[in-house]
Amino acid sequence: MMKLESMLRANNQVTDYKINIHQIKSFEMFFVKGKLETVRRTNTCDTQVTVYVSHGEFLGNADFLVYPSTTDEELAELISQAAAKAMLIDNKPYSLPEDETGTYNVESNFAGIRPEDLAATISNIVFDANKLPNGSLNSVEVFLNQHQETVINSRGLNKSQVRYDAMVEAIPTYNGKEQSVELYEQYNFSSLDEASLHQEIADMMLAVKARYEASKPQQKLECKVVLNKQELKELFFSISNHLRYSSVYTHSTVFKKGDAIQKEPTGDSISITMAGAVEGNVRSTKFDSDGLSLGQQKIVEKGKVLAYFGDNQYGQYLGETPTGSLRCLCADTGSLTQEDLDEAPYLEVISMSGLQVDFFSDYIGGEVRLAYYHDGQKLIPVTGISISGSVSQVLNTIRLSSKTATQDGYTGPDKALLSDMKIF
Amino acid sequence: MGFSQFLDSRRDRAKALVKILKEQFSYVSILGADSKSTAIRVDASTSNISNGQDTECGFVVKLNNGSCFFEYAMDDIGEDVATLAEEIKEAFSASAALKQASIEHISLKDEPLVQSFARASDLHEYSDAQLLDFCQKTQKELQGKSENILNAMVALNTMEVSKLFISQNRELDQDYAFIGGVLVLVYRENEKVVQVYNFEGSQNVADVMAALPSKMDALVDRAHHLGYAKPIEPGVYDVITDPSITGLIAHEAFGHGVEMDQFVKDRALAKQYVGQYVASPICNMKDGAASALSIASYFFDDDGVLAGDTQIIKDGILVTGISDLASASQLGTSPTGNGRRQSTRRKAYTRMTNTFFEKGTDKLEDMIASIKHGYMLFETDNGMEDPKNWAIQCVAQYGIEIVDGKLTENYVSPVVMSGYVPDLLKSISMISDDFEICGSGFCGKGYKEWVRVSDGGPALKARVKLG
Repeated sequence: MMKLESMLRANNQVTDYKINIHQIKSFEMFFVKGKLETVRRTNTCDTQVTVYVSHGEFLGNADFLVYPSTTDEELAELISQAAAKAMLIDNKPYSLPEDETGTYNVESNFAGIRPEDLAATISNIVFDANKLPNGSLNSVEVFLNQHQETVINSRGLNKSQVRYDAMVEAIPTYNGKEQSVELYEQYNFSSLDEASLHQEIADMMLAVKARYEASKPQQKLECKVVLNKQELKELFFSISNHLRYSSVYTHSTVFKKGDAIQKEPTGDSISITMAGAVEGNVRSTKFDSDGLSLGQQKIVEKGKVLAYFGDNQYGQYLGETPTGSLRCLCADTGSLTQEDLDEAPYLEVISMSGLQVDFFSDYIGGEVRLAYYHDGQKLIPVTGISISGSVSQVLNTIRLSSKTATQDGYTGPDKALLSDMKIF
Repeated sequence: MGFSQFLDSRRDRAKALVKILKEQFSYVSILGADSKSTAIRVDASTSNISNGQDTECGFVVKLNNGSCFFEYAMDDIGEDVATLAEEIKEAFSASAALKQASIEHISLKDEPLVQSFARASDLHEYSDAQLLDFCQKTQKELQGKSENILNAMVALNTMEVSKLFISQNRELDQDYAFIGGVLVLVYRENEKVVQVYNFEGSQNVADVMAALPSKMDALVDRAHHLGYAKPIEPGVYDVITDPSITGLIAHEAFGHGVEMDQFVKDRALAKQYVGQYVASPICNMKDGAASALSIASYFFDDDGVLAGDTQIIKDGILVTGISDLASASQLGTSPTGNGRRQSTRRKAYTRMTNTFFEKGTDKLEDMIASIKHGYMLFETDNGMEDPKNWAIQCVAQYGIEIVDGKLTENYVSPVVMSGYVPDLLKSISMISDDFEICGSGFCGKGYKEWVRVSDGGPALKARVKLG
């Protein structure tokens, strides 16, 4: 690293530089119908170098990758080529973060456990969660990653962190007399909570049996719709994506500060905070790729856009103090209780092909693979239906649960009640 | 341009590593990749030259001894091959993870073949400065097309792929390039902001540079119409699909369902339908890296199997699926050249390449004229597969209403197509006599393992649920 930095400093064209080093050690297990099909290990390291060249009133940048095999001669050439490319880029100048150093560990209980042992523990929990007669897990994939990340720049910034993540992809299947059906489950976590993982899979096993029993409703359903944490994650991240500095600067947004995302609210008000690290959130990180330390930024308060967030370059272009690339989303809970839900018929979505949320065309909807229709007395599993509506209307009347759930970067209400959705 | 010197320099080390590991494993192969890509992007206020998403350099070793597969991914094969071989063996030595029941009776063929493959491209004739200059000029022209344009973006993505495959009996290398160009508009009209894009791809920069500017006016016109687009009234309609939506149906509705690693897992209903009608008798569908020339075309796959041209549906009957080495070995079939990895750091799965319906005999104008009330659907947004239960969700960017056999000025957006795959495929009643394939997107396996794919075909007339 010292040599790389000294070579960068030795190039007269290079005004500044940044080095991102990302070492990943992974252990992965792939099961087919309960039997081990593949075991993988990876041990790799990316070193990405970004050079910044100040020329006239502009600042340009370009990047390249350094491999273990890269020779000194090749490195000198790569630096010169990147500097020449950066000279072609006429961007407004911005400054790099300065003089911050630190070594961090993102909270996880994976540290110190051999990955092959942890993977075996996880796979055992997953398979043990299937207690369903005629139920199976036809495919299970377990990924464990240890990330060691370092950011160094020419302005005295030098930060490194170790973080862990795991992903389980499981395919709960119910094999009935008439047909076999499945659901898709992806579970991301950075600390192992054995009971939580077991419950997650067990719940999906029950859900897949319900999919087997589900049928297309005989009559058109006209009722409110309940979304769960997976779909709420999609909905709330869709809002936050419009409030990134880069989206605002490039006009790729329908919102600006002060705008109401809930224009005539009659339900619970929406408040969203973006954060660098949240306990139990798999996307937690201490700094972003520019090395900016990550805190919190409230971006929506009581249904109105309060602030933007995002990376160093676009933050400065907008005249803001950059928050850094905050990856965790926290949404405030609301007032919706189970007692409220019990009052009226509603359709609770359990699994979708993928919720589509498009603020440009004011759309929310998608194909429902499994839902429960609560008619006030019993639960009726239904499938073969779709839902759609106007996202702006839906946000006006949305009711948010008072209970919190976490799902891959999202921490917020575990359920939401939507009015004005068409079920067809 | 030309095969990677780095991979060439590791060729003998890879052979030596295979030889040592063969002492312990019945099957050993090594895939090396050295792919360079550059993303050049210019919009109204910023520009950028950076490494593209397709950049990678590394190796993956695949091992088998009749039961479960082992893979070890690394950055390089160093000079001390013997030590590396020991590290790899040690990585898969006894542990709790490996005491679990494994698949059995795996027998892998390693048929002899030594061959080099290359595809000509003019990429090396263009400097980064020339590519950037094209983007800047095109962006300026596009931005000037309308005062309603909030931001115009022009991007070129270049990709030069070098791959080396070594096993005991096979030594294959390939190098090829592909260039993708994109126009994007953020446009405001009728107090509505819309985003639209158009893609052009070729193995030659000159083709992309010639084609992109010719798409500008149509893109602005589309943005203008989408400013007035309304939501569609949910229901079941007669539709005509443009080649992009035809490809989306081929890919999502049926392509994922014939990935034979899903057959192994009993995750695909299609496994039970081989030899049966799954679509209208006028339907023919193919997949293969050798079936068309696009961003998903290669000479051999990441298992060292030569690119295929697989007839999936013939006259409405499901003929066969597509497979990678691992799934074919478990099913007792021959791999079709569809073993693909996101990179050497990721597992190989059965993946689609160029997936399309073959052209038919109808004229597009006759197809439109045959519809009393319906929609013509355009431009893929995204889609999601459900190969076990054959549910589909395909999202088109927009549709144009057809009334009394004529396209109107009534646009709807977005349009989500959903339903049951056989219902959709069996409802296909007309297929146009033209053909177009497009490869602007990535395909995931579930929500991960992203690879470049293309899809397309002719226009189809079908009856589907829209919402």
